[in-house]
Amino acid sequence: MSTSEQAARRARSYARSSSSSSLRRQKTRFSLFSIGKGIDVPFVLLIFVLLAVGITMMFSASYPNAYYYQGDSYYYLKRQLLFAAIGIAIMFAVSFLDYHYYHRFAAVILGASYVALVLVLFMPAVNGVHRWIGVGTFGIQASEISKFAIILFLAHWGSRYYDRMDTFRYGVVPGLGVFASTALLLLLEPHYSCIVIIALLTVIMLFVSGIRMKWIVIGGVGLAFIVILLWVTGMLSYAMERMEGWGQALVVDRSSELWDTTWQTRNSLYAIGSGGLFGLGLGQSRQKYLYLPEPQNDFIFAIVCEELGLVGAVIILLIFALLVWRGVIISLRARDRFGKLLGIGLIAHIGLQVILNILVITDWLPNTGISLPFFSYGGSSLLMLMFEMGVVLSVSRSANIEKS
Amino acid sequence: MGATQRLRRRTVWLLIIILAVGFGAVITRLAYLQLVRGEDLQRRAVEQQLSDTTVSAKRGTIYDTNGKILAQSASVWRVVMAPAYFDNDEQRRFVASRLASILDLDEEELFEDTQQNTYYVSVKRKIESEEKEQILQLQNELEEKYEKSSILSLLDDYKRYYPYSQLASSVIGFTGSDDQGLSGIEYQYDEYLTGTPGRIIAAQNGIQTDMPFDYNQNIDAVDGNSLVLTIDETVQSIIEKYMKQGIADNAVYNRGVCIIMEVHNGEVIGMASVEGYDLNNPFEISAEDQQEIASIDLNYLISNGYVTDEKAATLSNEELDELIETARSEAESADLARNWRNKAISDTYYPGSVFKMITLSMALEEGVVDEDSRFGCSGAFQLYTDEIRCHVYPSGHGTQTYAECLWNSCNPGFIQIGQLVGEEKFWDYYQAFGFSEKTGIDLPGESDDQFFDWEGEEGAMGPTDLAVASFGQNFSITPIQMITACAAVANGGELVQPHVVKQILDKDGNVIQNISTDTKRQVISTSVSDEMREILEENAIHGSGKNGYIAGYRIAGKTGTSEKLVDSNGDGIKDYIASYCGFAPANDPQYACLVFFDTPTSGNYYGSVVSAPVFTSIMSEVLPYLEVVAQYTDDELANIDTTAGSYTGLSVADATRQANSDGFDVTIKGDGSTVLAQNPVTGANIPMNGTIVLYTDEESSTEKVTVPDMIGYSVSDVNYIAASYGINVSVTGTVSSTDSTSVSQSIESGTEVAPGTVVTVTFSTGGIND
Repeated sequence: MSTSEQAARRARSYARSSSSSSLRRQKTRFSLFSIGKGIDVPFVLLIFVLLAVGITMMFSASYPNAYYYQGDSYYYLKRQLLFAAIGIAIMFAVSFLDYHYYHRFAAVILGASYVALVLVLFMPAVNGVHRWIGVGTFGIQASEISKFAIILFLAHWGSRYYDRMDTFRYGVVPGLGVFASTALLLLLEPHYSCIVIIALLTVIMLFVSGIRMKWIVIGGVGLAFIVILLWVTGMLSYAMERMEGWGQALVVDRSSELWDTTWQTRNSLYAIGSGGLFGLGLGQSRQKYLYLPEPQNDFIFAIVCEELGLVGAVIILLIFALLVWRGVIISLRARDRFGKLLGIGLIAHIGLQVILNILVITDWLPNTGISLPFFSYGGSSLLMLMFEMGVVLSVSRSANIEKS
Repeated sequence: MGATQRLRRRTVWLLIIILAVGFGAVITRLAYLQLVRGEDLQRRAVEQQLSDTTVSAKRGTIYDTNGKILAQSASVWRVVMAPAYFDNDEQRRFVASRLASILDLDEEELFEDTQQNTYYVSVKRKIESEEKEQILQLQNELEEKYEKSSILSLLDDYKRYYPYSQLASSVIGFTGSDDQGLSGIEYQYDEYLTGTPGRIIAAQNGIQTDMPFDYNQNIDAVDGNSLVLTIDETVQSIIEKYMKQGIADNAVYNRGVCIIMEVHNGEVIGMASVEGYDLNNPFEISAEDQQEIASIDLNYLISNGYVTDEKAATLSNEELDELIETARSEAESADLARNWRNKAISDTYYPGSVFKMITLSMALEEGVVDEDSRFGCSGAFQLYTDEIRCHVYPSGHGTQTYAECLWNSCNPGFIQIGQLVGEEKFWDYYQAFGFSEKTGIDLPGESDDQFFDWEGEEGAMGPTDLAVASFGQNFSITPIQMITACAAVANGGELVQPHVVKQILDKDGNVIQNISTDTKRQVISTSVSDEMREILEENAIHGSGKNGYIAGYRIAGKTGTSEKLVDSNGDGIKDYIASYCGFAPANDPQYACLVFFDTPTSGNYYGSVVSAPVFTSIMSEVLPYLEVVAQYTDDELANIDTTAGSYTGLSVADATRQANSDGFDVTIKGDGSTVLAQNPVTGANIPMNGTIVLYTDEESSTEKVTVPDMIGYSVSDVNYIAASYGINVSVTGTVSSTDSTSVSQSIESGTEVAPGTVVTVTFSTGGIND
């Protein structure tokens, strides 16, 4: 019997025994009146605040596009509200689900993510890349599953072999293997920004799991070497194309070939700069009027900056920071190592997405397609995000219940 | 418990890194962009968010002196395409093929345009309302078919129209595709006519349509000023009609010029370089010229120096074709340049004998001739080694006064007068009369004169130069200089600056500037001018200029025939310029007129034969139109036409009395007591002393008379013949002198007509060979 199975069994027996012995424990069972019980309230409040602000800004940013291209100013809002509602339901549902189930299925979920990554290669390409697995009109990015699967697997591995993480064989090889194999499949899509994220997530997970620092240093050097190798072999051509004009958005002139390539980034900078300290006011963005392509997606924060100014942007970033901080608190309070690692991995993922997204829209990173959690439009990614938040809440619920 | 401790420690580190490094970097970056770079970025954003559309200003109108429109801008449209809206090639193909058929453009080129990923491609300019309607319809179809109404749009534009097409073409000029003046007044007054284009600054979205929020700043276009010319459309039409006739009659090779000018204020009432061109199609080449250009072949290439004889034999077909193509395009350009050229101010010519009025004015002003001066002419004048012949050579004019020298247009006489004036004074007066400088007329392309220079000194003349200059040879001036000098002779001695624009109006028609007369200087005294007027009037009645005479209008004038040094048409015969310059009325000059034909090829090339009759025709219509009061002598009155009064319905006695009192003789046909009909009818032309036939019954009105042959007779003979046949004669043409003979009649001899019918008989005199 594997460690994960043992843990799951332990959790189940614990739940059974506690439910029969106390009224309070009965309340931990799913009931509309008790969904808040045991979960971390500040964390949930932060999520609601971010979701409310995010959807408001998404509506503000999307309505010109919705009006001009969809003929309905509320097109994106309606869909996002629907997904948010489903997402909230999923979040609470998941928060009731004992996270130790994932412990048990970590390897299975990882395997499923590989299947998804292979399957996606046979899907029709959108804009020359294979990223979406479609189910009717609903599609999900295979990489969303991968990110979660890797966090889960490394949490699982790090908690199971916590005493051997300082060895190369247990500490480095599995993580490296999972990353390398996933990255290889992502290369085929291709989806470089996701490789960057899973690389960082892998490093974070291994770091927190307790591997020796020298491996992290060696890994960094090795990664750089691989990137150079790929660059030499020309496989990075797509990424290079996207990176063309990186940092050049304000420098190129109209006659340059880079003018169109850097269009989105340049208009993002115009939007951010136009905001100044206090912004043009909610709904007053001009850059969203078809200057900034798809302002409701990756570049939504540029519109936030334009409408709410530096003050508004910093406040939102502080809320994100609080969320990360609160997430870390929850994780550290988890009653077991798996819970800690899983929580840290998921919350680090949110933090990374926020940082990388803003570095992209401010032209410090190449325009690679990293969405902003709670803000960017997209059903499947929002559902996935809310699912992950549900998992974090599940960790907090379990810790709080144990404490009490 | 190292593992849990390490996890906790490392997690704290991770949190610090994410918050401090990650969020720190992000906030720093945002602060830099929003606070430090904010202003610059916002400026660049606003720049692209505002559309700046230029609104064409309407070009001003050009009116003739009476407010008739000579040039006008009318609304047209420009078709603009935004190909970035196309979704697929089917839409592109659809639009390209429809546009091609509506606008008569090449479909493949349009299809290429539709591939561009832009929002602004100018498809065609200056389309008219019919095409505009079709474009609007196509827009609707696009909306219905593909919901793409903004692919095509129409912008306001203006097009220049010239209602009189050819009229005064070299004066008015035309505009280019950007509405800019390219020649004539359109060029000279371009800055007044153009106006100021307006701008519409509006907020726009990324696809250049309007933003939902309001930001609009309109700077209205200021329409151009309008011009009122001194040119009179009616006068101009008369001029061009007779000039064309003169060119056709005399097979004029190199066009003709006519200028009519108000002598006191320099207003140019009419100015024509004929043939002109169609202002609405300035680049059109006449069918005749096209044919000529198409016929360019190897022989043309050789004779025009494109290729030498020897080389011609070695040319390949391609080389030959290429050379022919070059020659054709050069011929086309030359053809257009010739059409556009305002010969009246851009061409220089030897003024010839017309200049004698200037030479004589100098002599009179300087007092070097008086009534006692006599100038002999033996048919030729020996000057050093050269023999200068008079036009009557080998006979001579004998001994003449200075006035007779002019009447005879005697070259030896004027050589002597010129010598009395002297080289120095001649040059002084030449300058004073304005020949050495541009007149400053408000038209582009005025040429300079070419006067003598001797041993490098401008104006200094060699030994024979003064002799030939005194009768207008060997120096070149422009027609506008000649008529301006003639006006000075006529108007009491003032040299005025000719001009063609009288007033500048703002867009609402208010006068913002009156062009006043610029008098440059007093050239000759009033008394000399008075005397010159008398001499020149006498010249027009009896002298060399008599073919320019018009009864009642006291014409004063001088003919001129000048040799050209080049044989421009290559026919091997020396080329001449035939001109006539005069003014009227002689006792109170108002209008001067210069007529000149460059290279008549029909055999006649004398000013008196070629130009004087055209001058007469023009002035005899223009002067009454300009309300110059006729002053008839008694002799002239007899030949003047009037109109028949109304005598029908009166009793025979009353009608007779009435007709007699109107100055007509009466012939009564029939036995009735009441006049039933009359011939000529009421209002018809009839000579002053003509005969009215009154019919008193039905039978008599069928009576006919036969028109006699009246050609080859004097005026009195013709009147006598007509009277005996019971018809009336209207006299036209040159009837001033005793040697006038009838040359044509309006109704052929032998024709049966009602008694009293008016037959117009034209008289002419022989030419003077000056």
